[in-house]
Amino acid sequence: MENTKILTINWGKINPLKIGDYLAVGGYLALKKFVSEMKPDEAIEEIVASKLSGRGGAGYATGEKLKMVAESESHEKYFICNLDESEPGTYKDRMIADNNPQLLLEGIIIAALSIGAHKAYIYINGNYEKQKETLETARAQAHKKNFLGAGILGSAYDLDVEIFSGAGAYICGEETALINSIEGKRGEPRLRPPFPTEAGLFGKPTAVNNAETIANIPWIILNGGKKYAKIGASCSPGMKLYILGGSVKKPGVVEAPTGVTIRELVDDFGGGVTPGRDFWFAQIGGASGRLVLEKELDMPLTFSRDCQIPLGSGSILVVDKMANISDLILSWTEFFRRESCGKCVPCREGTFRLHEIALRLQDGEISERDKVAIKDILWTLESTTFCPLGRFAATAMRDAVEKLNLLDK
Amino acid sequence: MTIEKILLGFSPKAENILPALKKVNAGFGYIDEEKAEKIAAYFSVPISQLYETATFYDLINTKKQPALTIKVCFSTHCALKDAKKIIVEIENVLHVKLGDENNPKFRLGKMSCVGRCGEGPVVMVNNKVYERVTVVMVRGMLEEYL
Ligand SMILES: Cc1cc2nc3c(=O)[nH]c(=O)nc-3n(C[C@H](O)[C@H](O)[C@H](O)COP(=O)(O)O)c2cc1C
Ligand code: SF4
Repeated sequence: MENTKILTINWGKINPLKIGDYLAVGGYLALKKFVSEMKPDEAIEEIVASKLSGRGGAGYATGEKLKMVAESESHEKYFICNLDESEPGTYKDRMIADNNPQLLLEGIIIAALSIGAHKAYIYINGNYEKQKETLETARAQAHKKNFLGAGILGSAYDLDVEIFSGAGAYICGEETALINSIEGKRGEPRLRPPFPTEAGLFGKPTAVNNAETIANIPWIILNGGKKYAKIGASCSPGMKLYILGGSVKKPGVVEAPTGVTIRELVDDFGGGVTPGRDFWFAQIGGASGRLVLEKELDMPLTFSRDCQIPLGSGSILVVDKMANISDLILSWTEFFRRESCGKCVPCREGTFRLHEIALRLQDGEISERDKVAIKDILWTLESTTFCPLGRFAATAMRDAVEKLNLLDK
Repeated sequence: MTIEKILLGFSPKAENILPALKKVNAGFGYIDEEKAEKIAAYFSVPISQLYETATFYDLINTKKQPALTIKVCFSTHCALKDAKKIIVEIENVLHVKLGDENNPKFRLGKMSCVGRCGEGPVVMVNNKVYERVTVVMVRGMLEEYL
């Protein structure tokens, strides 16, 4: 079972610009099965049974989300593939677009048709220009084969896929900010409820899913949800992409089941810590992720709420003892100060102040006043911001204070 | 290419506002008030809303840009590599200060992750991405533009 590969199995083996290569390895069989043998709600039931959960960070049950949109009465609905991917240290979705764009498209088509949408969007990071072109080529080829467009494979299904390119804003990965961005507005998050599943893009029911989440769907349709649910951790099963970086021997994207431990990822998949360096801590899930010490490396990574270390984007940054922690702190705080959308005061001000303190830390001084201020700011970010970005801005700093004893020197 | 011609390539729907802004930005380097007004009129949205959008995104400029803009990634992975030393070297080669917006010729800033963490340190010079940049490489990389 551990040898199952779902997402990366054809990476490097097929030419991403040739749909024929994808067809030769069984591509679009899932769509054919969906169109000829299944009703939309049967497809959604398979996804529910698979217990697939969102790979965009929050881990929401994918089947349930699709079901909510499928069951709404509206004639106009949208499906959005979230490929905005801007969490530092994270480039798994880009690798999917680079290596197997047709797998992603097939997943998008099945998901969109199953909820009754006639239009799907891929919201792609504005810096991913090459991947946008790859996806455009893939879309044109899929269209020619009648996997897209009007009367898909001779059925009554219609679907258009639009590729929408972002313009450089981390917050646009948040689904309601993303929707505002497509609508030509500032990419600021919206108040919810209403949730996008009720009133999303142009006020219509909308399902937003992460690109990696979607790339699992063809396998689930072909092999059945029950089989998928047996892979990896039972609370949030399936295969997952992990991005290994920092002081590891073999950095890069690997596919492994959920429930693996960080130690397994670093040692077995990453070849261990870079020779000559000593492990200090790891950061899990990008700049907004938690810090993990040596003694915690055997904890399994899952998307469950009980998981102490949220998997987040799947990025694993290994930091060794030679690292300059004040540079990393500057990096985190600067990132969130720059990317705070400015809609709410606690985040706009809090990220600004944390960054100022990080600059003072660069000069090697941290006053008693700053120590008190850090605690106040972290509490404010964690407890009072409008959207999760504010909390993200506090996560790593909180761990640096509590686990690395940042303030004790 | 006139702005009118660029706009006519888009049907005047809300979802084309951001793509149109990007295209005008690419064609003229930035979006000034006059252009913002034309875009707002074309899409029938208030100029305030259009300007809010234009000023929000990193990849859209509302001010004239210097001939050479250099951005060094300083997100986690690159920050732990040599990003800081590279910034100092660029400062020395071009005689600029990081973050100085008054230099009419050059601008040096930091940027957020662009998803090439495996190939860092990453530097962007006028939208061209350089990977695995070293301090030694900096002068040669910039000479292309001088
Ligand atoms: C600040 C912020 C940034 C986010 N960035 C992304 C992103 O880049 N890609 C993504 O898929 N989800 C991102 N999300 C999560 C989305 O809001 C949403 O939950 C997700 O796209 C749903 O898809 P999933 O259920 O398949 O994970 C972000 C959330 C927040 C709060
Ligand atoms: S928490 Fe930050 S990113 Fe979120 S709405 Fe407030 S200012 Fe914007």
